[in-house]
Amino acid sequence: MNDRQKDLIQKFAALAGLLVLVAVFSTTSNSFFTLGNGMTVALQVTSIVYLGIGATYVILTGGIDLSVGSILALSGVVAALAVKAGVPVPLGMTLGIAVGALCGAINGLLVTRMKLPPFIATLGMMLVARGVALQITGARAISGLGDAFGELGNGSLWRVVKLDARGFPDVVFPGIPYPVLLMVVLAVIASILLTRTTLGRHIHAVGSNAEAARLSGVNVGRVVMFAYMVSGALAGLTGCVLMSRLVTAQPNEGVMYELDAIASAVIGGTSLIGGVGTISGTVIGSFVIGILRNGLNMNGVSAFTQQIIIGLVILLTVWIDQMRNRR
Amino acid sequence: MPVSSPSAPPPLLSLSDVTKRFFNVTALAGVSLDVRRGEVHAVCGENGAGKSTLMKVISGMYAPDEGTLRLEGEEMRFASTQAAQARGIVMIHQELNLVPHLDVAENIFLGREPRRGLFVDRARQRANAQACLDRLGVAIRPDSPVAGLSVAQQQMVEIAKALSMNAELLIMDEPTSSLTDAETAQLFKVIRELKHAGVGIIYISHRLDEMAEIVDRVTVLRDGRYVATMDLAATSIDEIVSLMVGRALDDKFPAPTRRRADETVLAVRGLRRKGAFGPVDFDLRRGEILGFAGLIGAGRTEVARAVFGADRVDAGEVRLHGRRVDIRSPIDAIRHGIAYLSEDRKAHGLAVKMTVAQNVTLANMRAVSGRLGFIRFADELSAARRYIDALGIRTPSAGQVAKLLSGGNQQKVVIAKWLFRDSRVIFFDEPTRGIDVGAKYAIYELMDKLAADGIGVVLISSELPEILGLTDRVCVFHEGSLTKILETRDTTQEEIMHHASVRAPAAPAHAPTLQTTAA
Repeated sequence: MNDRQKDLIQKFAALAGLLVLVAVFSTTSNSFFTLGNGMTVALQVTSIVYLGIGATYVILTGGIDLSVGSILALSGVVAALAVKAGVPVPLGMTLGIAVGALCGAINGLLVTRMKLPPFIATLGMMLVARGVALQITGARAISGLGDAFGELGNGSLWRVVKLDARGFPDVVFPGIPYPVLLMVVLAVIASILLTRTTLGRHIHAVGSNAEAARLSGVNVGRVVMFAYMVSGALAGLTGCVLMSRLVTAQPNEGVMYELDAIASAVIGGTSLIGGVGTISGTVIGSFVIGILRNGLNMNGVSAFTQQIIIGLVILLTVWIDQMRNRR
Repeated sequence: MPVSSPSAPPPLLSLSDVTKRFFNVTALAGVSLDVRRGEVHAVCGENGAGKSTLMKVISGMYAPDEGTLRLEGEEMRFASTQAAQARGIVMIHQELNLVPHLDVAENIFLGREPRRGLFVDRARQRANAQACLDRLGVAIRPDSPVAGLSVAQQQMVEIAKALSMNAELLIMDEPTSSLTDAETAQLFKVIRELKHAGVGIIYISHRLDEMAEIVDRVTVLRDGRYVATMDLAATSIDEIVSLMVGRALDDKFPAPTRRRADETVLAVRGLRRKGAFGPVDFDLRRGEILGFAGLIGAGRTEVARAVFGADRVDAGEVRLHGRRVDIRSPIDAIRHGIAYLSEDRKAHGLAVKMTVAQNVTLANMRAVSGRLGFIRFADELSAARRYIDALGIRTPSAGQVAKLLSGGNQQKVVIAKWLFRDSRVIFFDEPTRGIDVGAKYAIYELMDKLAADGIGVVLISSELPEILGLTDRVCVFHEGSLTKILETRDTTQEEIMHHASVRAPAAPAHAPTLQTTAA
């Protein structure tokens, strides 16, 4: 059995696990397998997928990014402050994403130039970005941002609403929320970049053997830098989407989100040593986490128990992965 | 099958008809072997002949599926390497298993620390370690950190560790593969002393020529089967090699097809890095193979890496076809057509988790990608297949993960990578280390063919026969300086060793590099 087949089996194992979860929750709760709940899950999963894609890129190069939860808060409040100051919403959000990319670039420089271990570099960024977010807002939420700010998080495409006889709106089709649309587009682009381009190949090569890649003429520093910038920019985007959904910018948003991102990548088969991982796996991993949370909620399982279960799922999948690699 | 007469004492170790299968692959098929006390018994075979599996069976890592293992006549079944060690069977692996951050004594007694109450009895640990090191006659302090020791010294620590376990049977896997000749001589002295003390030694090495010094008997394996056991005195290297490969090898080196031209491809002038090497001057001519000889640590690899831009330099210039080039990184060097095949394939040469095809194209992705960097997979596959055929890379497919290939085939993949990049100068750093005889010959032929095609080839090798058999000229290095450039056909191993060992021409050859106490 070659590695390609092994990867397929691994992927199908995660997918099969996902389907089993759906099947189980469908029988235990009547309202689980409905269009409305499906949309809710998809919407909840979007932020894990955005961050998970970034985490996959970084982990593929053999690094780790602990700062995304803080970066998303900083990016979100920067976007909100800009809008509050009169900047148009699209420009404000672009600014937020740029701040995220900048934080990622700093992470990249700390890792490639100053040779800090990624764990430490991004741990520092996690504290700094959170601190800046709290500082510039005075630790207060920013509200009154206007409807336009909420469009990205709450709007949807192909929403069909009919007015009934009495003039009340009747939602025929809820539409595809913009964040879900964005998730699909980003996952497809990220996956194509990783599997079909030179840059993607270099990311794999750096994670597989950084010294061999360097001696083969791969610009290792630039590749690593790119991965951290993708992670930072996607964290920035996540921040904008999350704050837009609430139409409020919270400097305390996104605490511990980095762990969901890393967990989704790991459940999806990304190796923490680097060199191995796929975006499709990470998307599946994100849905495993999202559906577990949603289904357990609907069955009235407490948040504490949910943590225990998700923790065990991570341990189980990584253990299965180790077993697979040991052969 | 070797049978001892009833009156003689049973051999120290006796294996009979040992078979080991993994799923449906038979790694060992009915192998028999006996080792006497005070004997050095070599086990020879090409890569994949079953040597490693056999050693793992003896050292308790694998249980045999069939057959018996007897220790002094008593049948054994070891549950683990610890169980085998408890009976005095200790294996020293090619990749040494020492903890770099601990000191020598701590390494020797790792997991078996002498205790006083709850605490490690450090004084006794040190004294016991000293006693083991003294038995070997090596001047290594028990309290020096292992990270600061040379490979040869670390090996002595491994042997001392084995002695501390009261080893009666020592298995040594490629013990000389990273030692210089002087260090090898020191190791052989220690092996002889162990022999006198009645220790049985199983010795695995690709260096057949050095066996004559210490080996008593040799057993040859081929394709997991037992072929023959012979007294070394009654056989020859040619016979052993022909038994290993199952065919006669007339020449160990191919006849050169290249012609040296008067045109200089690469010229290096005044290349220097403080504390490492230089200043170094040499020319590489079109159609020649230039050898870099010298002891390990003499600066050969360092010079090659510096020309390739992998490490910084303090001064010096590099000219390619007469034009001065500025090389600050491997990216620059590769752009100018300079390639370097590192001595440590797995650490520096190969992206082991990637496929053969992905490794072949890694240094020249531009050739197989279009606009926006999209890879043209069909082109990549056909390029990989072309080199798989041209170099005879044995792999089930271009999509095979590089990790799963044998050492020789991995080396060919790395060579393919540089050929695909149209390199004009290629540095081969120990290209045949850990590669079996047949694959070595193929690589020699390939290097000759490259030179014949006008590529400048530099061969860095610690094996003098390889230097003599393959190169046109030899640069000899000693402690960071290029001491002499010799015409290969007019020189001898002795002359090269002499220049490699001493700076002043008058002094005698063979300066020991390993510190030893007076024997």
